[in-house]
Amino acid sequence: MTVVYLLIPAFLLLASVFGLPLLRYAWLSFHADSVLTGLQPIANDGANWLRLMHDQRYWQDLIQTLRFAFASVGFELLLGLAIALLLHQPMRKRGLIRSAALIPWALPTTVMALGWRWIFNTPYGPIDQFTSLSGISLNILGNPSFAWIALVYADVWKTTPFVALILLAGLQSIPNDLYEACTLEGASSFTCFRKITLPLLKPYLGLAMTFRLAQAFGVFDLVQVMTGGGPASSTESLALYAYWNALRFLDFGYSATIMIASFVLLSTIVAFGWWLMILLNQRGSMAVTE
Amino acid sequence: MTLELQSVGRQINAKWIVHDLSFSVKQDECLVLVGPSGCGKSSTLRLIAGLDRCQQGTIKFGNRDVTHLPPSERAVGMVFQSYALLPHLTVYENLELGLRIRGVRIEERSRRIQHILDLVQLADRANHRPSALSGGQRQRVALARALLRNAMVYLLDEPMSNLDAQLREQIRPELRRLILDQGKPTVYVTHDQNEALAMANKIAIINNGEIVQLDTPIHLYNNPNSLFVAQFLGRPQINCLKPRDHQIQAIRPEDLKFSESGLPCRLVSREWLGNTQLLYLESAEGGLRMVAEPSFQCPERLFVTWQQSKVFRFDAKTGLRTS
Amino acid sequence: MKLKSASIILLLAWSLAPLLWQLYTSFSTDQALVTPFETMANRWTLEHYRSVISANPPFFLYLINSLFVGILATLLTLIIALPAAYSLSKLSTTKSNLIRIILVGCALFPYVLLFLALLEIARALSLGNNLFALALPYTALSQPLAILLLGSAFTSIPPELDDAARVEGLTLINRFRWIYIPLLAPAIASTAILVFLFSWNEYPIALTWISETSKLTLPVAMARIAGSSIHSVPYGAYAAATVLGAIPLILLVIVFQKPIVSGLTSGAVKG
Repeated sequence: MTVVYLLIPAFLLLASVFGLPLLRYAWLSFHADSVLTGLQPIANDGANWLRLMHDQRYWQDLIQTLRFAFASVGFELLLGLAIALLLHQPMRKRGLIRSAALIPWALPTTVMALGWRWIFNTPYGPIDQFTSLSGISLNILGNPSFAWIALVYADVWKTTPFVALILLAGLQSIPNDLYEACTLEGASSFTCFRKITLPLLKPYLGLAMTFRLAQAFGVFDLVQVMTGGGPASSTESLALYAYWNALRFLDFGYSATIMIASFVLLSTIVAFGWWLMILLNQRGSMAVTE
Repeated sequence: MTLELQSVGRQINAKWIVHDLSFSVKQDECLVLVGPSGCGKSSTLRLIAGLDRCQQGTIKFGNRDVTHLPPSERAVGMVFQSYALLPHLTVYENLELGLRIRGVRIEERSRRIQHILDLVQLADRANHRPSALSGGQRQRVALARALLRNAMVYLLDEPMSNLDAQLREQIRPELRRLILDQGKPTVYVTHDQNEALAMANKIAIINNGEIVQLDTPIHLYNNPNSLFVAQFLGRPQINCLKPRDHQIQAIRPEDLKFSESGLPCRLVSREWLGNTQLLYLESAEGGLRMVAEPSFQCPERLFVTWQQSKVFRFDAKTGLRTS
Repeated sequence: MKLKSASIILLLAWSLAPLLWQLYTSFSTDQALVTPFETMANRWTLEHYRSVISANPPFFLYLINSLFVGILATLLTLIIALPAAYSLSKLSTTKSNLIRIILVGCALFPYVLLFLALLEIARALSLGNNLFALALPYTALSQPLAILLLGSAFTSIPPELDDAARVEGLTLINRFRWIYIPLLAPAIASTAILVFLFSWNEYPIALTWISETSKLTLPVAMARIAGSSIHSVPYGAYAAATVLGAIPLILLVIVFQKPIVSGLTSGAVKG
């Protein structure tokens, strides 16, 4: 019980980067703090919150952030499962192949974001070069209906390895004799997958989903570098909007309001996801005991 | 020097796991703590070693009160069930670590380790990792480490539980030679009553964190103070007859005799154990276990009898001995 | 078998194609980039690499800055998280579960949202433009993951090893030196690499804390190239910088593939 003090440094650090900022935001969200006030906080009786309610751009960004997060996490789970199943197979040079699959995840998001900007470039990027052979220019990053898809693609490319590894851990935790028993029963490998792999993988799928959703809700680097939120704010995320408000418009009070509101909204969704995960876990374990 | 515990106790979550425990162990005495698992026997050992804190009572090594000293200042030699050897160090390094921490000079360390390795006959294994040793060898390394401690008191926590039965019989005399001949108070925890009877000068039977009875092995066997003790010591287990007048009568299997008349019994099954055979009988008094000559051909129906002086009587409610 | 080989090739193509395109770009002349389908005499060039290496400040400075912050943050994280994880493994189940839930909550937090308050802290304490100081938020943000990973590793150490060492007279520091650190080396390596990668790649905090060109970390320096002008990014030079910047990470992933996988997967098992 004397060992508890060893936790203190870690928790002081956590309090200073998580606790303190949240309290500061909560306080700041009830103050005007911008160039207009000489960058001094002045209480404004919830004007920030009122403004947020009527800020179409904020709600637009919320929808765009959710659209981005659900689309990329959905694809990541599907693709991650496929890659995990593949990497779980015995093969030659497995270590090297796993390394290669991990590389996208290890590279800095910003660096590859600019790489993607080059690949999707109009008219010089490879994609536009190819489509222009048949006379079409997609102008992907310049088109509000395509630009967000390019972002999703880049995000899926980068974070699928992470999802695949978590699912790989799940696959490795499934005892082999379950499959042997399943094959002995004469079931097809697809049936075994549906009756054994999927139910036992559910907790891992839930974990990967929760973790990735939480990260995707805070998407910032990728958007800022790849599209800058454009065209016409069509790819702007909540984090980027908060960033513009703070560092471009120097409106700290409103930026804090955006962040605390986003935090509450998004953590509600993550908590819901978590609850769903627990529900799935219970179902999963029931399927096993049956 | 005597090890002495005076009404020692430890509580976890408002439950006493060791309560009001007192005993003393003289030098060259070995006290064996036995009891069902979770009874507090290992906890008692941890209190003596200083690994856990006492909330009650005092522990003395001779005249020295060690109740509030950390383990490093108590000088106990302890052997663990899993041997607790560091897997990344060789046998020699495992033995050396404690000496090094306690500031023993390097030549002195090497001299003492060589000597102890000879004593436990592992000199040729000094540079092997524990994973390359057999269970018995690991156990001897653990013993060697405890011996190097220059201990005031030796504590052994189920030191042979991870060994197979044959190895245990081999190691017992060795353990006696190495530890008990040091002339230090020794406390030995086991759940195996054969081991307890073999190693002990005295046995303390523990239940629910308290001593039920503490005595010499022979006295415990012949004079159990409660049904718990009577049932705990002695295999095959003591027979309990049907309770009468709130009293339980119990008789050891070896005290049952065949006769022409007496309690009518029916043979249910038999186990041939080499030098004896164990008979399972059914009677109006309930199931009985009985020991017989190995050559005895037991009939389907028979009569058994016993001397009244061999019967133990216990109170049916408290389980305490009444005669 | 055929299907498996095909899938592996597909996986490799998917993972590596964007990088290979960067590699191709980095060696192509500007002329070749604009008209890729025409044959020309001077198709290949080292000009982009030359310009990156001779830029002012030289590109390698950013690598060194990132390396410095990454190593410092990793060391600090381990120094703080190891004792905390030990403590966590010694607490009662209810207490340690409560702490684990808090840590998981912090690990899930989209930390980008913290940049404004962290910027205010940096301003109040004059921590801006200081690579030593930049390691502090990284250390703090890495704590949840590091404590969770190391904590589950600590619980895998048999308690009797600890007891035996205490009886032998080893103090807590002795036990870290002789028992925990050697026995937990694999988990420590996994944690260290994950923290290092996070610090090396981190963007929003580095972006707001560092403005002096000579102190930029790699991700910010690279993004600045993009921000310099929206329309004419020097893609050739940028691709060369990407390739140079990716090499250390690719080596890291190849060498430490095992601890990375085990770190991520044991984190998953712990939940």
